[in-house]
Amino acid sequence: MTKIIIDGQEVEADPHKPLIHACHGHGSDVPMYCYHPGLTPVGSCRICQVEVQQGEMPPRVVVACRTPVSEGMVVNTDAAGAHEARRQCLEFLLKNHPLDCPICDKAGECDLQDFSFAEGQGEGRSVEPRRKLEKRKSLGDVIVLDQERCILCSRCVRFFEDVTHKAQLTVAGMGARSVISTFADRPLTGNYQGNLADICPVGALTLKKFRFQARVWNLHKSFSTCGECSRGCSISVEVLRRREVKRLRPRYNPEVNRWWMCDTGRFSFDRFNRAGRLGAGLLAGRRGMEAVDRERALDEVGDILRVHAHNEVIASPWLTQEEGQELARLAQRLGVEPCFVSPPANDLEDDLLHTGDPSPNRRGLEELGFVGRTARELIETLAQRESALLVGERIGELLGAEGLASLPRSVRLMAIDTHPIEAPALRVLLGTPDASEREGTWVNVDGHVGRIASAKPAPEGVRVLCRDLVDLIERLEGQGQETLS
Amino acid sequence: MKSPELYLLSRTNRPDSHTLDVFRRHEGYQALERVLKGGFSPQEVIGMVKDSGLRGRGGAGFPTGLKWSFMPDPEKDPRPRYLAVNADESEPGTCKDRVLLEKDPHGLIEGILIACYAMQVKTAYVYVRGEYRLPHDRVAKALAEARAAGWVGENILDSDFSCEICGEETGLMESLEGKRGHPRPKPPFPAGFGLWGQPTTVNNVETLHNVPFIILRGAEWYRSMGTEKSPGNILVGISGHVERPGVYEVPLGTSAQKILEDHAGGVWKGRKLKAWIPGGSSTGFLPGSQIGLSMDHDSLKEAGSMLGTAAMIMLDETACVVRAMQVMARFYDHESCGQCSQCREGTEWLSQIFRRIECGDGRVEDIDLLTSLANGMAPGKTICALADAAAIPTHSVVRHFRAELEAHVEQGRCPYLSNDQPSQATVGAHA
Ligand SMILES: Cc1cc2nc3c(=O)[nH]c(=O)nc-3n(C[C@H](O)[C@H](O)[C@H](O)COP(=O)(O)O)c2cc1C
Ligand code: SF4
Ligand code: SF4
Ligand code: FES
Repeated sequence: MTKIIIDGQEVEADPHKPLIHACHGHGSDVPMYCYHPGLTPVGSCRICQVEVQQGEMPPRVVVACRTPVSEGMVVNTDAAGAHEARRQCLEFLLKNHPLDCPICDKAGECDLQDFSFAEGQGEGRSVEPRRKLEKRKSLGDVIVLDQERCILCSRCVRFFEDVTHKAQLTVAGMGARSVISTFADRPLTGNYQGNLADICPVGALTLKKFRFQARVWNLHKSFSTCGECSRGCSISVEVLRRREVKRLRPRYNPEVNRWWMCDTGRFSFDRFNRAGRLGAGLLAGRRGMEAVDRERALDEVGDILRVHAHNEVIASPWLTQEEGQELARLAQRLGVEPCFVSPPANDLEDDLLHTGDPSPNRRGLEELGFVGRTARELIETLAQRESALLVGERIGELLGAEGLASLPRSVRLMAIDTHPIEAPALRVLLGTPDASEREGTWVNVDGHVGRIASAKPAPEGVRVLCRDLVDLIERLEGQGQETLS
Repeated sequence: MKSPELYLLSRTNRPDSHTLDVFRRHEGYQALERVLKGGFSPQEVIGMVKDSGLRGRGGAGFPTGLKWSFMPDPEKDPRPRYLAVNADESEPGTCKDRVLLEKDPHGLIEGILIACYAMQVKTAYVYVRGEYRLPHDRVAKALAEARAAGWVGENILDSDFSCEICGEETGLMESLEGKRGHPRPKPPFPAGFGLWGQPTTVNNVETLHNVPFIILRGAEWYRSMGTEKSPGNILVGISGHVERPGVYEVPLGTSAQKILEDHAGGVWKGRKLKAWIPGGSSTGFLPGSQIGLSMDHDSLKEAGSMLGTAAMIMLDETACVVRAMQVMARFYDHESCGQCSQCREGTEWLSQIFRRIECGDGRVEDIDLLTSLANGMAPGKTICALADAAAIPTHSVVRHFRAELEAHVEQGRCPYLSNDQPSQATVGAHA
């Protein structure tokens, strides 16, 4: 560690990181455009100017992202000369900016807006016509580029070079004629394109899927974990008007996903917005499934489990540790080995994040004694059983509608899921919150614990799964003596 | 007064000066022989260059011996190391290296070999600008000749020394690595992290041409020419409104007026001098009244300008400084690589404003805006000095020729254009 002084306070700085890292770590505001902690620094935008004094030399204004820290360095991030240099830099950056903030998706989280507010001058001094460039250039299925908004920080270029190790973007042209472009105008490919919209400091690279969807300041953000694979990237779930998930974004986690997430995960949020959610409870009656209250539905589940000896308890791999613990207790009470549906690996595995394993809590459930089995195996087993309790978000989907529908009526199926299941064997159906509506933890492939958070309210009549499970255990225990004797 | 001794151009007027034969007959490769056979250590060569006081001729005037000494000790840092030779003359008005490349390519090769010996470099790259066909071909041919004769390659002159020679210094490296010509920020400095991340030194062609003469004739001799802080001779390219434009060799410290009158035959058509540029467009304009300044680093720095590449450009009394500046501003706009915000936008903005003023669309407030923008671009605010190179002449025009800018704004036209000339500033930029 290197001792330096930042804004009057002694700070221990990492000698392998540029000065700007130490400034930010110390809580000093230093603006940046081209610098991103996850990319190779280039020092080209020239906005991160700070004043540095070394030994007897007079103080100099330098860019903090390309200045190494050295023992005894005295840094002033608030020096008049630094502010002046930043103001000048911003004036150049804004000279050709289209000023279409009112319709820009980035407005509200745009570094150009924010630093201009903090450091810029009130009025422009240019009377030259603004540069006219392409405003809606499609870069493939995920991203659209607005060349007029681009400040040529080259973060997007370096993202592909440094993170996915396959260059896909470049700066074409020189000087004021520079524009960001793909090679030979080919569309972008790969599972990580969405990150461009996060790292672009302005509204030049936006997600097709988020275009004109929301003003970002109306989004309510909750810190959660992605469930699309067993990596469990840390994410922020962003919800509009407490109803609709509008986007998922990666959250910095040095142990798991750093600043990134894959597109499969990023665009998986449609599942949280799907209509047709299950409410309190449904019981099989004369006229198909009939709505009942939750207590009645749980009574029925308790009764069926109590009177039949050959039971099966199957969990969804989306179950949290907390839910898994209760379900394991229930299984123990019933004397069955708990298991979970283990969907096959998909072909999305790569050497960056995606594990190819679509079970977010495989490791956690296995640690709790659950055994992963394929949907096919499970359907075959179920056919032999008198009753089965299927528990957790997506359980119906993962076991497969066809398999479930094929089960004989002799299997008394009971399910707790987010969406309806259709099967002749079905006796009871209860609604449950999805991963955007409940709290809990998942254990990822490497043993890191990821917290999921409730980002929006669950549907009417639905409550926390753990409570349903505890209630069931109580029902079995309360009257358990009778069946056992 | 006896006329000064010439060495840089001592061979160039001889027929076939570019061939190995002619070169060998006129001291060619003798300095290299002396170094390799005379038992000079690399440190001794660096020491001699340091003692001579040679300063880089690429524009910045950095002491060459000192630059060489920045290369890490190969005992401690065994990474491969490189010499990059800058033959990319691009500063408007500059064409001195061209003469050396075309007429004395072996002189360059000898300079490179001695520099490589001194810095213990085994590979040198010469970066010749794409437009320089003949210079490129001459260097390539000379290299082939030198290689065939054993001057380049393995165990030169049966010594342990082997060297292969294969064209702003950091942009140069990106180009050599096959990347876009974007200058790299310093630090890291090229001496520690240059080509492919290895220790690298960048030198200008004329700088290297000086080296064999220093070895042959000694540092004392070298210091007997020029001034105390700027010793030696320099190639001056003089162009613009003069009778005899050309490249001349003069001792540093020669007065600009003497060069203009004795060498270039004075301002053409008997006219008066209005403005002049001492060292290439980025050194800015000086008023004609300052033509008495001497051509060395310190005198010009004191006058608020620079020696640069000693490419003098003369403008007579009928010329329009605004128009000349507008052409230069357009050049910088065109040449900016575009990575630094201030340079990318600033060079274009300056060009737009000068163009408006020249075309009669200027506003009074544009004049102070020019100064303010130039202050936002430089000094030292960007990765390389191109932004400075655009800002310096801008300052100089506002400082020395404000009245001419104001006349353009007030009259709503260029006062130097007669009515039958095109009303737009359409003079071609430097090629
Ligand atoms: C914008 C810009 C243009 C330059 N053009 C040239 C050039 O045309 N030729 C050259 O030798 N050096 C040029 N230089 C200087 C080189 O970057 C470098 O400093 C020089 O080649 C070093 O050699 P020297 O120490 O022998 O002078 C330029 C520098 C800048 C910033
Ligand atoms: S598109 Fe965005 S990330 Fe890419 S260079 Fe432009 S501003 Fe930077
Ligand atoms: S100063 Fe200009 S030419 Fe030099 S690196 Fe920056 S943008 Fe490129
Ligand atoms: S953030 Fe430091 S130069 Fe861009």
